[in-house]
Amino acid sequence: MPNEEKNPFKRAVTAGIEFVYGMAGHDMSRFAMKTRGSMEHLFILITMGDLLGVPILPPYYSLRILPYVVPQISTWKRRMLRERDLTDALA
Amino acid sequence: MSSLSRIFKDYPERRYVMFGGAGGLGKTTFSAATAYHLAKQGLRVLVFSVDPQASLSDIFERDIFGRGAVEIMPNLYAQEIDADRHIKAYQDAIRKKILDMYGMQQVPEEIESYIQAAAAEPAMEESAIFDQVVDIVMASEYDYYVYDLVPLGHALYYLSMASVYDEWIDKITQLRKEMDEFSQVASLIKRNKQTEEDMILKELMDIKYRINTSSGILTDKEKTAFFFVIIPEEMALLDTQKAAGLFAAYNVPLCGYVVNRVIPPELGRQNIPDYLRNRLKMQEGHLTQIDKLFGDQVLARIPEFERDITGLPMIERMAQAMFG
Repeated sequence: MPNEEKNPFKRAVTAGIEFVYGMAGHDMSRFAMKTRGSMEHLFILITMGDLLGVPILPPYYSLRILPYVVPQISTWKRRMLRERDLTDALA
Repeated sequence: MSSLSRIFKDYPERRYVMFGGAGGLGKTTFSAATAYHLAKQGLRVLVFSVDPQASLSDIFERDIFGRGAVEIMPNLYAQEIDADRHIKAYQDAIRKKILDMYGMQQVPEEIESYIQAAAAEPAMEESAIFDQVVDIVMASEYDYYVYDLVPLGHALYYLSMASVYDEWIDKITQLRKEMDEFSQVASLIKRNKQTEEDMILKELMDIKYRINTSSGILTDKEKTAFFFVIIPEEMALLDTQKAAGLFAAYNVPLCGYVVNRVIPPELGRQNIPDYLRNRLKMQEGHLTQIDKLFGDQVLARIPEFERDITGLPMIERMAQAMFG
């Protein structure tokens, strides 16, 4: 790999940091991103609810936000409309 | 000098002039005449209509609908906003943005149908006009902006729409900010130095700024002169009293009242039919009531003219009656 550190000490330090991140930080960052993802879907519901048949005010300004949420629309709709069961609580 | 012209002389910083009142009382006529008067004094004036059923074209006897600011005479410009065209252009801009952002050949079907459905919403036209007004006043190309307002109920709807929008934007902006905090936490843990700029938050802040600018003008005591148009008739008086209370609730700064369509009392000294004499008597009672209710807030009494106010010569006569 082109960016691989040659100094064995630095490599050990990097590996140590990554180990600690994997042990402690990874879950935390995953949780933060997951919460953010849920909030993103909540945000789209509030602004684009019309896509699911929930009337939302005001459409004029919703349209201005629309271009930025285009990639998330399909995952959001899937998530909003899918059936829920007990296993959701474990996710 | 009439009380009305004194207000304009004493408060030159009140650059946004509005005449409010029920439908058909003379708002457009007063707007056009005020714009004419100011333009004649060498000030650059734009009179524009926020009414989807605008009548500036009729009063100036020129087709100005959807043509931007049209020069009527030196310093006097008039504009009627074509909401439909604005909405179409707005939709096209949204489509283009989506295609450019994601390198798509065409807008996905469900997104396209949402864009089309949103344009059919009842509030869309008002929102589009509201938004275009922001563009017009923010461009700041004129010394005076004279709003040819929609009738009372509608104008109140605009004001309430602004406050509803404002609250809506506040709530979702707050949510967006919280989301940003989570992104930053995740970046920090992952030791990413840069977080992506939240374009949605940026858009929301811009929308909020635009709404606040527009509604802020309507309620700015320093910059706005709002006049009520009344006529000496019972129903109009009752309506105006109610509306004045509602406008006050939205902090619209009221400059005073202008009484329109006053049948010249000197007619009473002539040999006139009972019908007209009766009208004059009734009018006298209502004028007394108006003076009692609004006192020195009554700035001018404008006579009923012998013909419609259309065309510049008649607008000039109206300006003369209003400003002396």
